[in-house]
Amino acid sequence: MNNIMKKSTMNIVFGLLLSTIAFNSYAEIRIVTSTQDLAAIATAVGGEQVKVQSLTLGTRDPHFASAKPSMIRKVFRADLLLVVGAGMEIGWLPPLLQSARNARVQPANSGYLDLSRVVPLLGKSSGPVSRAMGDVHAGGNPHYWLDPRNGKRMAQAIATRLGELDPAHKDDYQQRFKAFAQTLDRKLLVWQAELAWLKGTSVIAYHTSFVYLADAFGFQIVDEVEPKPGISPSAASLSALVSRLRVEDINLLIMEPYYERRSARYLNEQTAIQVAVLPQSVGAQPDINHYFDLFDAIVAALNIAAQDKAAQDKAAQDKAGGQ
Amino acid sequence: MDYSYFCGKRLAAVMAVCLSFPTAALAAQETDVLRVQQSNQQQIHSMKQRLLELESRLKTAETSPPILATAPAAANRSGIQIGLSGLFASGVSSVDNNALEGLQGGAHDPKQNGFTVQNVELSISSTVDAYLDAQANIIFQIDADGETVVELEEAFFITRSLPWGLQIKGGQYFTEFGRQNKKHPHTWAFVDQPVVLSRFFGGDGLRSQGLRVSWLMPTDWYSELNVGLQNPKGETVTSFLNAPGEEVGGHTLINRDARNLGDMLHTARWLNGFDVSDTVSVNLGVSGLWGPNASGTTTDTTIVGADLYLKWQPATTQRGFPFVSWHTELLTRRYEAADSGDPRGETLKDRGLFSQALWGFKPGWVAGLRWEYATANGDTAADPQRDTRKRLSPNLSWYPSEYSKLRLQYNRDWTQHLSGKTADTLWLQMEFNIGSHAAHIF
Repeated sequence: MNNIMKKSTMNIVFGLLLSTIAFNSYAEIRIVTSTQDLAAIATAVGGEQVKVQSLTLGTRDPHFASAKPSMIRKVFRADLLLVVGAGMEIGWLPPLLQSARNARVQPANSGYLDLSRVVPLLGKSSGPVSRAMGDVHAGGNPHYWLDPRNGKRMAQAIATRLGELDPAHKDDYQQRFKAFAQTLDRKLLVWQAELAWLKGTSVIAYHTSFVYLADAFGFQIVDEVEPKPGISPSAASLSALVSRLRVEDINLLIMEPYYERRSARYLNEQTAIQVAVLPQSVGAQPDINHYFDLFDAIVAALNIAAQDKAAQDKAAQDKAGGQ
Repeated sequence: MDYSYFCGKRLAAVMAVCLSFPTAALAAQETDVLRVQQSNQQQIHSMKQRLLELESRLKTAETSPPILATAPAAANRSGIQIGLSGLFASGVSSVDNNALEGLQGGAHDPKQNGFTVQNVELSISSTVDAYLDAQANIIFQIDADGETVVELEEAFFITRSLPWGLQIKGGQYFTEFGRQNKKHPHTWAFVDQPVVLSRFFGGDGLRSQGLRVSWLMPTDWYSELNVGLQNPKGETVTSFLNAPGEEVGGHTLINRDARNLGDMLHTARWLNGFDVSDTVSVNLGVSGLWGPNASGTTTDTTIVGADLYLKWQPATTQRGFPFVSWHTELLTRRYEAADSGDPRGETLKDRGLFSQALWGFKPGWVAGLRWEYATANGDTAADPQRDTRKRLSPNLSWYPSEYSKLRLQYNRDWTQHLSGKTADTLWLQMEFNIGSHAAHIF
């Protein structure tokens, strides 16, 4: 009885194996990206020749995606895998790549593109790195998509790679890249003009994720709410920060939407520092679908914060003046 | 091949095997005592030479610091990942250590009042070349007698780029049965192994030498089929050809070998994964095992299981929190005990389940609750391996970072075999991970 069961099971299994159908007949290039930012740029450059899927949502912390079987399925079918790199996906992508058993998108093959290789990374560690320092990415800070100038570099690398994978549409990809770059150049001037007030000011951030934004718009991030990258603030670290904020001219705290707000509220109560919650990725808010939308939303959020601050300061002055 | 060479009890024995495995394997097949002695002498000789060689290498390394200084960079270039995780526990129980041994069936479970080194695991993995990845996990443990135990827990290769969604894994590996079996102790959500797994798969979980083929099917959802063959013999395949002299349901096991392909352990698993929405995902699996057992010369064992895993994560998360997950496995075993002509011949039917829910309520904090049940046919009240058991385990884990963990767990046990029927135990567990970044599989 058991032997018959065994044999019939094996027969079914091998029958299934032999009946594998070829499913590599596709018209468009299937691009899978680790984040929605990469997906947005790939869509802009790839147009109708590509089908783009992101493995993670822009509303979530991309360091800590939880690997799901559906992700394996996506990577398995991908022709091109775009990753942020610089350690961003180290907690979840390696086992995914192994399970996905797709030779095309393995690192070093033409279907794998690590975009941290095409941008100048900030925050590279010069000395030895220890985990006692928190989540330090020794190879450089991986939040580089928050500099619009890097968006252009990423788009160019994606267009070039798509041209290599699909030479028939090489010109299409290059044209779309040029259009993307022109729009970006034009918009960058507008964004810089709108954020002129920010230039040269000192700002604190929740996590070390806005250094590229600061670099692009000329402001300084002088401290973080997290005492060490990835380590939640404690009462002691917050009170140390309060002491610093009281004596220094720092009026703005910027943070991602997915971090806890309690620390920011506390700092605001203690020092009246203005808090701006900035979308850090495409998809972080429902209305951010394109790469340009991301900076439109960031600029808008910063300007609203500045207006609120001005209004508060004015109210405080009026109050003081009235007494 | 003699299994004992894979699972030596002493550090020295394993080191000897590691250093001169080919010679040792040959020796195992020799019947001539003289030849064994000769080969032992050869072994000792080759080990001495090896030692001298290593010593001289060490001296060169000491005298030339530049080589040492560049070593880590070279390791990085080859892509080798080395990690060490340590898992420690301490506890107090309402019952004595003897009773705890019967309650805590896992070899890596804490099972004594006081301190336990549950598991120190050295994990080495790397991409071999364009075609293969490889991994080895070596476990160090200190048993209840204070003796150090070393095990080659896993050592396998896995293909990287076979066509048609195929993947082959071979070597010594945890059988892909259900969700829990292949998890290493430091990734468990609870301090101890589920009761039903200890009963069916033994304290170390089900693992053996073999080969398995996995096929990622061209379906619209994730659907993976695994079939494999593994050696059915040894103390890590307890429901099959476990060590002679061991007992299952009162039947003493004989020395039985696998004679042909049909006598191997056949393994199968079908896993499906769906995204219900952006925030909810479901995994559904069924697994089966067929193989001979050592209670007779023609007896077989069949184990079938079903598993469900459900995870919810809101659209906005910080460091992967908050989340809720629910993991349930149901297993049944049909064990033909003693040959059919034997008057003591019978079929043992065991079944059990565990169901556990985790709630990651704020970054770094996870609350868990596990319910377990296991039972069997026949008069089993006195048998700790087959009596009707229930266990409820609430726990609370705190992860200061991704690399360390503190866990407090309370176990309430209901048994038939204990004189007092129930037991209450409190465990405190600590874990550290150093070395390569430990990535977690779904």
